[in-house]
Formats: sequence, C-alpha cells, structure tokens
Amino acid sequence: MRAILSLPKTWIERIALVIALLILFLAVFGPWIAPYDPTQIDLRNRLAPPSATHWLGTDSAGRDVLSRLLAGAQVTILSTVTVIAAALAIGLAVGITSAFVGGTLDNLLMRFSDIWLSFPPLILALGFAAALGASLEAAIVALIVSWWPNYARLSRMITADILTRKFIASADALGVPTHRKVTHYVLPNAFDVMIIQVTLDIAAVMLAISGLSFIGVGAQIPAPEWGVMIAEGRSHVSSAWWTVTFPGLMIFVTALGFNVVGDMLRREFDPTLQRRG
Amino acid sequence: MRYVLQRIVFSVASLFVLVVITFTLGHIMPGDPAIAAAGPNAGAERIAEVRARMGLDQPLIVQFAIYCGNVLRGDFGVSWFTHQPIVNDLARELPPSLELVIIAMTINLAIALPLGLVTARYHGSRFDDLVRLFAIAGAGLPIFWTAILLQQTVAAQWDLLPLSGRISFENRRFEAASGFFLFESLLRGEFRIFRDVLAHLLLPAFALSLLFTAVGVRITRTAMIGEFRKDYVVLARAKGASEARIMFRHVFPNGATPSLTVFGMQFGWMLGATVLVEEIFGRPGVGRYAVKAVTQNDIHSVVAVVFVIGVVFLLANLLVDILLYLLNPAKKRGL
Amino acid sequence: MHADAPHVADPLLSLRDVTVALREGARTMVSGVSFSVGRGEIFGIVGESGSGKTMLTRTLFGLHDDAVVADGRVSFDGKDIPVAGYQRHMRRLLGRRIGLIAQDPYASLNPAMRVGMQIAEALYLGRGIPMRSARARQIAIELLRDVGINEAERAVDQYPDQFSGGMRQRIVIAMALSQEPQLLIADEPTTALDAITQRRIVDLIVERSRTRGVSVILISHNLELLRQSVDRVAVLYGGQLLNLLPAAEIGTRPAHPYTEALLACMPGRVRRVEDIRAIPGDPVGAGAGRIGCAFAPRCAHAVPACATAPLPLNDGLAGRFSACLLGMGA
Repeated sequence: MRAILSLPKTWIERIALVIALLILFLAVFGPWIAPYDPTQIDLRNRLAPPSATHWLGTDSAGRDVLSRLLAGAQVTILSTVTVIAAALAIGLAVGITSAFVGGTLDNLLMRFSDIWLSFPPLILALGFAAALGASLEAAIVALIVSWWPNYARLSRMITADILTRKFIASADALGVPTHRKVTHYVLPNAFDVMIIQVTLDIAAVMLAISGLSFIGVGAQIPAPEWGVMIAEGRSHVSSAWWTVTFPGLMIFVTALGFNVVGDMLRREFDPTLQRRG
Repeated sequence: MRYVLQRIVFSVASLFVLVVITFTLGHIMPGDPAIAAAGPNAGAERIAEVRARMGLDQPLIVQFAIYCGNVLRGDFGVSWFTHQPIVNDLARELPPSLELVIIAMTINLAIALPLGLVTARYHGSRFDDLVRLFAIAGAGLPIFWTAILLQQTVAAQWDLLPLSGRISFENRRFEAASGFFLFESLLRGEFRIFRDVLAHLLLPAFALSLLFTAVGVRITRTAMIGEFRKDYVVLARAKGASEARIMFRHVFPNGATPSLTVFGMQFGWMLGATVLVEEIFGRPGVGRYAVKAVTQNDIHSVVAVVFVIGVVFLLANLLVDILLYLLNPAKKRGL
Repeated sequence: MHADAPHVADPLLSLRDVTVALREGARTMVSGVSFSVGRGEIFGIVGESGSGKTMLTRTLFGLHDDAVVADGRVSFDGKDIPVAGYQRHMRRLLGRRIGLIAQDPYASLNPAMRVGMQIAEALYLGRGIPMRSARARQIAIELLRDVGINEAERAVDQYPDQFSGGMRQRIVIAMALSQEPQLLIADEPTTALDAITQRRIVDLIVERSRTRGVSVILISHNLELLRQSVDRVAVLYGGQLLNLLPAAEIGTRPAHPYTEALLACMPGRVRRVEDIRAIPGDPVGAGAGRIGCAFAPRCAHAVPACATAPLPLNDGLAGRFSACLLGMGA
C-alpha cells in the first residue's frame, strides 16, 4: 500500500489516485454516508436546483441527486468489478492453459479470441439483452462475454513468454508440477502487467455499463446508476441541467481517475515503455 | 499477393465464427420460442405445428445449416415490430449509421494523426503535456453525456448547428436510392442539401469521435515517438533533411502503420457505439433500430444487427490490412 | 603520415576545451576535450561504453537530442562555431560537408523507402540533384557498385530488408559518400557485424575516404581495430580525453596508463590468455563531473594528487597528448 502511495509524480496523478481511492471507498460506504434516502420520492420537490438542503439538486422524482450519486457509486463499481473479475478469471484460465498446451489448440484459441475481440461490446450486450431481457445482470453477462478474450490474449502472451525463460527449464529439471508452475512462476510475473490492464479496463467497463444503462439495456429505472440517472434527466435537461451534468461528471471523473492511475502504474511497471538509456 | 489471400481467408474464417456466434445468440433465449410464436392460447398440437414450421424440431446442426443458408441469401427473417423483412430494415438503417461513422472517423484521423505526429516530435514540451492531458481526459468522457452537453450548448443555446434529425424539415422529401444522403447529394450536385445533411452530422459525429480520437492521439503519438528515436531519423538529419521532411517523408509512413491497425478496429467499435448518439440526436440508424428491437424482445433483429456490424468490422479490417500491405513493402514478402 | 606527431596544421575540425552537458539539469558529461582532425586524416576515438565518445561526437555535430555543447571552442574548416545556437549552425553543415555512418545497419535505413531513393535523397539534399532524375539513379548505381554491392542495377530498387547487415552498412557508406563530404563520422560502424565483415567495412570506409581525401572520425571500443586502421587515436574515459597518440605508437611507445591498461586486457595481439589482465574496478561513466583524473581510482600508478589536481593542458593542435599528471605517455 505504501508503495502505491509513493508512486504519483505530478499533481494530476496525486489527485487521480485520491479520486480512485475515494470512489472505491464510496463503492463500499456510499449509501451509508448519503444525506438522504436515494430512493425516496418527493414529488413536491422535483427538479429543485442545487441549494443548501440539496447540494446537487433533486431529480424528476424529487430524489436527492447527491445521495443517488453516492449510492450509484456502489452499483456502478460493483458491476464493473464483477465484470472484470469474472472476465479475468475466465481469461486467465483460458490464456494460461492455451499457452501451456501450445500447438494448434493454442493457435485456434488465439485466433478465436482475436475475432471475438472485434465485436463492439455494446452491440453484443444488446444481443444478450434481447435474449435474456434487459437488466443489469444481462448487461454484466454480456460484458463478461465481450471482455474475457482481452485477458486470455494477454495472459497467453505473458505465459508463453515466461515459458521460454530459463528458470522454467530449471523448474522442469526439479520436477515442479504444472499447477505449481502456474501459481509460483506465471502468476507473480503476470501480476504487474495484469494490474495495469485491469486498472485501465475499469474506466472502459464503467463507461460501457453506464452507456448500456443509458439506452435502457443495463441497469433499469429506478436504480441509482449513473447512466440511468442521465437517461431520466435527459428530458428535463434544458430546465434542470443538474440532473444530467452531475451524474455525467461522476462518470467522467471516475474514468479519468482510473485512467491516470493506470497510466501511472504502466509507467512504473511496464518495461517495454522504458526510455532507451 | 499471398499475404492478401491469407487475410481474405482469415476474414472468411472470422465470418464463419461470426455466424456461429449470432446463431448461438439467437438460440439462447430462455423458454421455448415455439410457444412464444404460437401465441398464448395455443394448444400442444398448434405448438408442435409451429415448432415444425420454424424448424426447431431438427437437430441443432441442421438448424445451423439452414441458418447459414439463410444468411448467405440475406434472409434474416422478419422483424416482429416492423413486420418487414429484416434485411430491408437493415438496408434502410445501415447507411445513416455508416455516414455518421465515416464522418466521425474522418474527424478522428484529421485530429489524431497530426496531433500524434507533432506531439511526438516535440515530446516533453508544454504543448505535448497539454495535448496528453486532453487525450487522457477525452478517453474518460462518456459518449452519450458529451452528446447531450454538446446538443444543449452548441445547438440549443448557441444555435450553431441543428438540434436533431438527419435533415431539415424543408428538405424532408429528399430521397436517396442508396440511402446515403451525404454522397448522393454530393454526386447529384445538390449542394444545399449536402450542406444541410453535413450540418446535421457534425455534432453527433464529433460527440461520437471524441473518445476514439483521444485514444487515437495517444496511440499515434507512441508509434511516432518510437520512430523518431530510430537511427534512420538521425541519419536523415545527418543527410541534411529538414525537420518537416523527416516528419512527413520518414517518420509518418513508418509510424502510421501500427496506428492504422487500431483505427481500422475503431471503425467497427464506433459503429457499435452509434446507438449512444442516435437516440440523443433523433437520427435513424442501426443503433436505434437495435434498441427498439430489444425493447420489443425481437431477438432476430438484434442478432441481424450484430451480424451486419460484425461484417462491416471485418471488411474495415481487411481494407486496412490491404492498405498496409500496399504502403509497407516489408509485408509484401510476408515478414 | 604522422609518425612524428607534429602539430596539426590547417585542421578540418578543431576542438578546444569543449564541454558537453545534458540539456536537462545541465549535468556535465564530457569536459575539457581538445583535439584536431587534419584534412584527409583518419582519426580514431576509443572508449568503453559510457565513456562519452558517442555523446561527444553526436553532440558535436548537432545530432544529439538530449545534450548540448556547453562550453569551449569548436571550429570547422577554419570557421568558428558559436556555442549559442550551436545546433542550428552545425545543422547547416550537415549533409553538405559532414556525413554519418551509424552503429546499427538494421536501423539506419528507412524500412519503407527504396535504397536507391534514400541515396537519391542524399544527393538531393547534399548536391541539389533532383531525386527522381536519371542522373541521380545513375550516380546511386555507381556508388553502390563502388562500395561492393553486386548487381547494383537491381539493388537500387530494393528495400533495406532485402540486404544483410554488412550490405546495409555498405549502402549507408554509399549514401554518406554520395554527398561528397569533407568529414565522415563512423560511429561504431562495425559493432553489429561479425568479425570478418567488421574488417571489410572498416577497410572500405578508410580506403574510399583516402581516395577522396575525406577526413574520417572512426569511433570504436575496439582499440586493436583502430590501431590497424587509423592515423591517430584519441582515448576517452569518464568524459575526459586521457590520451591522444599516433596509431603506430600504440604498443610500441609507452602511453597513458589507461591506454596501456586497455591494451593489456585485449586479446588478439601476440599474447597468452594468462597475460590478459582485466582492469580492476568498474568503469566510471561520463558525467561524474570531477576534477582530477577519471581513471585515478583504478590506476596502478596513481598518487593522491591524481584525483584532485586539474589535468594538464592540451592546446588541441598537438599531434600527441597525455593527460597523465605523472607525465606518463607524454
């Protein structure tokens, strides 16, 4: 943890790290520190501009925007983490296995992943939504299905590279079993690169989820998800700009924060990016 | 030449995988589609009849073969909510989306390539830092949010560009056989209409392109920086080449190669993202069509859209590969 | 030749107390270097990695991104080049009077441009001959033949990746010579090549330059190679010029302790393996920015004063020089 805190080199990076940690914090504790109940409707107070009582105003059903934003952090981040964790698990399993097995199967799997990667996740998600009904769960499944080839390719590349290194030969000579090779040789070496990819993906997945929710095939009304909030506020945007601006700002700032943190990690850990001496 | 053939074979294989995927999608619905198609009051006999008619009682392989055959003939079935053959719907909805993506891609390339080149040349400078900041910020902007904001400010408040739609009310009777308003109006010399259509395209295209441009700048920049560091650039300088010559005749042709690959993929991704701006700007397109289909639970229409977009994606990539092959001689020998 | 090491009269390139520093932080990398290169002279610069030899040379000719000439006097062909705006002035001379041959032949040529066109570009930039003219093509073919590329007519239309490393280096040499420079800089031109090709390439450079009266600065970490090929050698270590001597004197006349140490640890001369001595300690990089001799910590003859006293002066025009406080090799 200390190591991470010491990484930022510019003020932008410091702010980004703070934002990222803050969002993670909100993901866990968001609903508890919200000043109002995010689901409480108060139709007499709808579309109220930001004020002392409602710092970010109220939406079309009179709900406090700030509270919904805080609650939304939980929905958004949990969905994102679910997608990435599942995609990572599947991707690692497929990629590492593929690298170990090698040969035609390896080739086929990677070609397959390449093709799979080409499809825009949004459209694929629409497909799943049509098949399974529009819901946050369907969107999550769709995104997992879209995303795992990313990790499969990456882990396969890393594993294949590690397998060519000399210390694997000595491990073979010592009779180290395969599963131990994976846990003790592959995973630790892959960790750095994976962490970078995961951090950068957080922003991308988050944008995808909020995008899907916006068009109605992700989280559904009246969930406090940021994309849904923008969809709900859209019809009132000319008179009540706060219903659209603040949720969007949240998405933007969060994505930006994780992107900068991901870049920061990449600068530290990615050896291919080192400047020539 | 062998390289091109290789790429074509790969594309065909990818097409096949695409068909498999869309077939799977079309058949993973929970519940029995025959029941849904037969209606709420159908008895067991009627359901069996429908099932036979839909070919659902055949083994999966046979169904798949039938599906392949249909796809090759362009028969995607009939849409449940337009009651038209889906392929007709697609022919109508695809061109507007393609126009949008083409304009967005043009904006992307026009900004990303020069900026990437210049920031690579002057990397470390304040200008470079500023551009990189914008690029990182741009990569975090939700497309639909940007679209709404742009619509509100540029169109609604400042009245610089049209608010929504594909063409002005006064030009609404414009017909294009190909469906491509932009190109047909240009070809027919109807410049007033061309300007009108273009004006309606600018805001949505810009909103759509922003995120991709931000990524494009960074990728181009990295590729160009890599080239600038190479020895042949130092040698070119030693020969007495001006910085301009080095940038345009040496670095750019070599650095553009890796970035072009990404731009090719972005074309497909953009097409998938059109749904986000079509809704907001009230434009027709495959995105809106697909969303409508989803709300109507019309799986076949959505699957057809997935397929078509996949095809466009493969075509774009194939074109980029061929372009690279023409540009980069090393590939000619299959290196 | 320069067997007696007299002063260099009418030098082509003259350095006097030149300091090279990094742009960022103004950190001194090379200091107090003075030497001259005569017209038509083949001049060698030897040093280990990190000695500053590449940085010095590239910066001298305005080709280094991160370093500048911070101090000292540099004159080329009789004209002084001011320190202010140095790179700009120097760049004007590139391509017309100075040519470069770099270390890695696999990276020196633009992979997307035909070999003939790259030579034609050099002809255009250096002599104003239109790039797509028949004349340019003819000259390119002749040059390729001259550097030993058979089937020059076919080669001129091919791409760099169709040639081996040695042949690519020949093309680079042809390209440099095409501009009819007064000075050729060969920056470790053979490091990426095998031993036999190394010999051939160096011989090619030296021969072609001598016939044309072109001066050459040949940089290498291989003292033996230089001893066999050049007229005089400058020895760099830790950003300092420690020794300057005629190639003929290497091994026959006592030189600076570092030069002697270099000789002692090289195989290749008549020497038994057991006699090869590695130099104790680790090499120091350029930029230590010290006063006193950079080699002192590892020198067998060093006295305490060596590490602190300023080095002896070198007017830059001498045929021979040793920076040793104890006068060894002078």
